[in-house]
Amino acid sequence: MKTLALVVVLITGAMLIYAGHDLPAFGDINSTAYQAPMTQYFIEKSVPESGVPNIVTALLASYRGYDTLGETAVIFTAGMAVMLLLRRRET
Amino acid sequence: MSGMIDIVYAEYNYWIYVTLMMIGFYAMIAKKNLIKKVIGANIFQTAIFLFYISLADVTGGTAPIIVGHGGEHAEHAADVIYTNPVPHCLILTAIVVAVSTTAVALALIIRIYNEYGSLEEDVILAARRKLQPEFSEHARQKGVAEVSEQ
Repeated sequence: MKTLALVVVLITGAMLIYAGHDLPAFGDINSTAYQAPMTQYFIEKSVPESGVPNIVTALLASYRGYDTLGETAVIFTAGMAVMLLLRRRET
Repeated sequence: MSGMIDIVYAEYNYWIYVTLMMIGFYAMIAKKNLIKKVIGANIFQTAIFLFYISLADVTGGTAPIIVGHGGEHAEHAADVIYTNPVPHCLILTAIVVAVSTTAVALALIIRIYNEYGSLEEDVILAARRKLQPEFSEHARQKGVAEVSEQ
């Protein structure tokens, strides 16, 4: 059983290493993700459009505000689940 | 040969994350203890967070906070390179989901421990089979096999 798990894990790791050769090198400024129009747009326009100097904050709270709202729903659901699981049974 | 070393050195961050991910994945599959499974899941998640954060990194880049906003250090504002803010934002969301799943998993483990008095998977399954022999087709067949062996 442990041998099978090790084989599965090693195959997954080998596949990921193989797939990783197509990814950009560490710290590459010419990577597709960094040169994408979206990234450059956020870096240039986040202060004029949202007024927040921290770009991550601007993205999270302004451009992706509805996503963050849904995220609070995730935390709320998790908190409710923990409360329901751990409350004392009145028997 | 040196070309091979260059390739590995340029991508050494990915090797680190794949190793971390393999450690976490192995713990999730092979360990019998439920807490160790949760720890494995957390190592797995951390590997993915680090992977995304390293994709965002740019050599010589600074944190994605605009320099010169509000008048301070405004003379440097033109020639600053910022790291990619988009993966940081994505991972902020993923960390919240990871914390939520860990909380629910730990609460479930507390309930399981109260019910069965153990965190070991095989002990829990044996107790479950004894309490409810009909709880699954697989367990019933396994139970019949164990009885016939005795």
